Amino acid sequence: MSTTIAPSPLLATRNSLVSALRAAIGLPEAQAAADMRRPDKAPIDQRLVETEAELPPLSPAATPPDWIRWLTKATYGYSIGEAVDFQALPGASVSAKWDSWVNRQLDPASIVDTECSNRIAAAGYLTLGKSLPQLWNDHVRLDPPYFTRMLPAAETECATIVRAVYSKRQLYERMVNFWHDHFSVFGFDYDIGPLMPSYDRDVIRAHAFGNFRSMLEYVATSTAMQLYLDNYASRGADFNENYARELLELHTLGAANYFGPTPPFEVPCLQADIHCEGTVPAGYVDNDVYEAAAALTGWTIRNGYWQYPTENDGAFTYRADWHDRRNKIFMGLYIPPNSQPAMQDGRLVLNRLCAHPGTARHISTKMCRRFVGDNPSATLINAVAQEYAAQISAPDQIARMLRVILTSAEFKSSWGGGMKRPFEVAMGGLRGIASDFTPKPDDTSNWTTTERFAWHMQLSGHRSFSWSPPNGYPDRQSAWASTGSLAMTLKMLAWLPEMRVNNDGNSSLLSDIATHTNAVFPQSAAPTATTMIGYWCDRIFGYRPEPVMSVVTGFLQQNAGVAETINITTDSWNINNLKLHYTQQRLRTAVGMLMMSAEYFRR
Amino acid sequence: MSNFDRRDFLKTCATGMLTAGLVPGARLAFAEVAANSYDTLVIVYLRGGCDGLSLLTPISGNDRGFYEAARPNLRVPVSGNGAALPLANSASANATWGLHPRAAALNTIYQAGRMAVVIGAGMPAPVTRSHFDAQQTMEYGTPGSTGISSGWLTRHLASANLPANITIPALSAGSITANSLIASTESVTMGNGGDFRIDSSAWNWNSRDRYVDGNGNINAPAGFQGLVERLPELWAGNSPLEASGRQTLDALSIMRTINFQNYVAANGATYPNTGIGNQLKMIAQLLKANLGMRVAALDLGGWDTHNDQGVPTSTYDPFGNNVEQLSAGLAAFYRDLNGTGANNFAQRTNIIVMSEFGRRLRANGSNGTDHGYGSVMLALGGSVNGGQVYGRQDFAGLAGEALFEGEDVRVTVDFRRVLSEALIRRAGNNRLGYIFPGYAGYAPLGIFAGTDLPPDYTNTFDRVFASGFETA
Repeated sequence: MSTTIAPSPLLATRNSLVSALRAAIGLPEAQAAADMRRPDKAPIDQRLVETEAELPPLSPAATPPDWIRWLTKATYGYSIGEAVDFQALPGASVSAKWDSWVNRQLDPASIVDTECSNRIAAAGYLTLGKSLPQLWNDHVRLDPPYFTRMLPAAETECATIVRAVYSKRQLYERMVNFWHDHFSVFGFDYDIGPLMPSYDRDVIRAHAFGNFRSMLEYVATSTAMQLYLDNYASRGADFNENYARELLELHTLGAANYFGPTPPFEVPCLQADIHCEGTVPAGYVDNDVYEAAAALTGWTIRNGYWQYPTENDGAFTYRADWHDRRNKIFMGLYIPPNSQPAMQDGRLVLNRLCAHPGTARHISTKMCRRFVGDNPSATLINAVAQEYAAQISAPDQIARMLRVILTSAEFKSSWGGGMKRPFEVAMGGLRGIASDFTPKPDDTSNWTTTERFAWHMQLSGHRSFSWSPPNGYPDRQSAWASTGSLAMTLKMLAWLPEMRVNNDGNSSLLSDIATHTNAVFPQSAAPTATTMIGYWCDRIFGYRPEPVMSVVTGFLQQNAGVAETINITTDSWNINNLKLHYTQQRLRTAVGMLMMSAEYFRR
Repeated sequence: MSNFDRRDFLKTCATGMLTAGLVPGARLAFAEVAANSYDTLVIVYLRGGCDGLSLLTPISGNDRGFYEAARPNLRVPVSGNGAALPLANSASANATWGLHPRAAALNTIYQAGRMAVVIGAGMPAPVTRSHFDAQQTMEYGTPGSTGISSGWLTRHLASANLPANITIPALSAGSITANSLIASTESVTMGNGGDFRIDSSAWNWNSRDRYVDGNGNINAPAGFQGLVERLPELWAGNSPLEASGRQTLDALSIMRTINFQNYVAANGATYPNTGIGNQLKMIAQLLKANLGMRVAALDLGGWDTHNDQGVPTSTYDPFGNNVEQLSAGLAAFYRDLNGTGANNFAQRTNIIVMSEFGRRLRANGSNGTDHGYGSVMLALGGSVNGGQVYGRQDFAGLAGEALFEGEDVRVTVDFRRVLSEALIRRAGNNRLGYIFPGYAGYAPLGIFAGTDLPPDYTNTFDRVFASGFETA
């Protein structure tokens, strides 16, 4: 055995050559796993850092065609079905087809989505059709066992997966996910879990392409958010500030417009030198949080509180006797004391927040980051923010903002400026290998495929509705490129081709890659490793990226010749002739490798 | 084998011990059980803004009166059921102090002189009551600014004059890297050691170590390379994404040989089966394996107690439950490490507990507390001059006019002062200007035993030197 570790050949780009050399000379016995600290390593990786400056453009080894990049960034991942639908759209050019795609996707009701709705219907979910009062009664008031109490959250998670994978309304599903992050609640919380179908359906999904101001009030009055940020218990002068603070910091203006404990009149005004009617301060201070909290007192839920024991259906209500009746000055707006119409103080706060350019910028920046990359340009953000303002009363304000992003030159040209998050690669992987997966909660002691999937997502740090702080899942590469998340995402991707109906070793595979490949390339067609991996690259990426294609082909090939047929009709031990060794398992592993490549994480 | 780094390990393997080396757990057998020759900082971050006034409560003096007036239904009592645990050496101008009753295990360590409490601790101006602003700027080590984009621990590692090769210089426990370690290329982020391996692909092509026999020999033929061995080729490019991918694969490779399942804690310690308990157990195992870990960061969430915070006199006590999780986890960790002689790992392990801010003195109307300002920090370890409350001479008190904006505990101890003392006295790193740009006027409180060095306030730093051209 050699006593030295050769310089790693892994950095070489000529992987086919390297593979051949390996076969000829015998392979190194172990990959040289480097120390985390070593002399040739920069002590701080500045490239990963979130900076205000733009990251340098990346130049991946092989870039996909324009329209495949666009689909990859706007959906839960490329798939053959997506490509077929795209090609069938009207338009003489790729750009024209893209415009058609955007128009169609922004009108989700126009898209027939039978496969997805049939799958959801067939799953037999028990709680997703229940109204809020039904959920409250069945899963809160009746105080059922824990599994039943949380079944609404678990089924919402399952349906979210089904829609992400199978719905043809892909842009809508991506936007639903965006709002679940923006208006994040901890869905597996004991109090919120029973209500998740209503929050998802009546609040997030109902307004995902709608009007921001309208959506904001639906969120503010949702039982889930009321419970999550405690506004339901905010009464009178001793109000609870939790919701008001996050309303300003996370839901509307953003921390960039927070001036700390500064006295309110020291904040500069946007339109004038002095604070007066018709001007608005540049941002908010702690005092505005307190004033907003006071304005929102009395916004609560009917939860059987001792003062109102008969009102217990979980619905939102306004209690004038819990409202702090003192006057307020919120961001320069004087709100008079005493008897205002029900909810008026709170609505004035929401109005003022939504009309503020800081909110337009905050929401626009987040949307651009989601669809373009970590560091969208100020030009694009401004264009989207202008659309926000111009369409402030439009019922489809959000859809119009999205259109600005998706038809921008920046969206069309950007690539690699962001990283797919674990949920996105997971959904993309299931789409790419056409997995037949309808997750379903289970109350038995079996460790089911659904439960294992959720476990993998949990390890990755990105299980749906499982982020407990109110800022929602991060949306930057610096978070998801963490070793812990990335390692566990790779672990999950390695498992996707192994998923079975039951989480065992012998029930049917959810995507029978070998059988499918055999059907496409019968032995009579003498399929080689190159043929088969090319096919799976086309399905998963829509192009054949290098060095991914060469590396994975070499893995499938083993000691076979380049033009030699790889027989995947059987799967058996043959350790002395690796090209014959467990060929079906090897093919499944190879397909997993495609999804475990850096290329698959780019967006 | 006191300096067992990865390169040495690989050489050892290459000269004939490879097969044994790949037996799960064999790695640990190589390392002698010996207290490490370097210090480890363990930073526990209480996410959500811990109510310092419940964790450390005034139990006598005028401040007790102010506290009781401001919190009619939200008090830790001074006697009877759920009473605070009085601390010696805790007198500030207008109070003496006691620990939350659910921190009984920590109280034992305090009484043994190995835990210190710092009162009035927090961020200097500009004040922020935003969780996310406060956490980020604190963890970047740059109050008031998020422009620096690397963590204070990242810059500590980069400037600590460490040997060139260290297997695992730093660990961030969880799936997403703590901001204090952001942008570090020398840290592993890992939530659970036992799960931290790619073993989920088809078994016969997963990895060479799938072919291990009962004697620890790997019987895969020469030339066999499974998924695990081939993966680095898919992350060889130049993008930042691929750089983090390689860091990830390095981390997976290092951890793959460690058996996390069979760890037995020493000295009769029993880790609670909680998130923090399991993560501290993992850190203890890595620490005892002498993998070079200088820094570990972990979190405990659930401190954002706006509503129904709970009191120790009631069975409904969410805050107390959280205190007990913290206390039981840290006490087990300390006990596990606190052996004698060669097993005295506690001597060189320095635990610091911190939070982004404290909570308001006055309770709100829903039996909770809203965001405040000053809080407390804890320091535990065999080299802590414990059994005292630090910062008490400077503590401003709880009288209305003494409070920040008439509402909040003032910050009278800059959190950087505590961290700097650990850096200088325990880690031997005096590069304060680089680690905490803009910080000046450091003076030790005396929390840690160790040698003082003159602080270096320059914030330039020679990366070439740091990149390892110094001798290991």
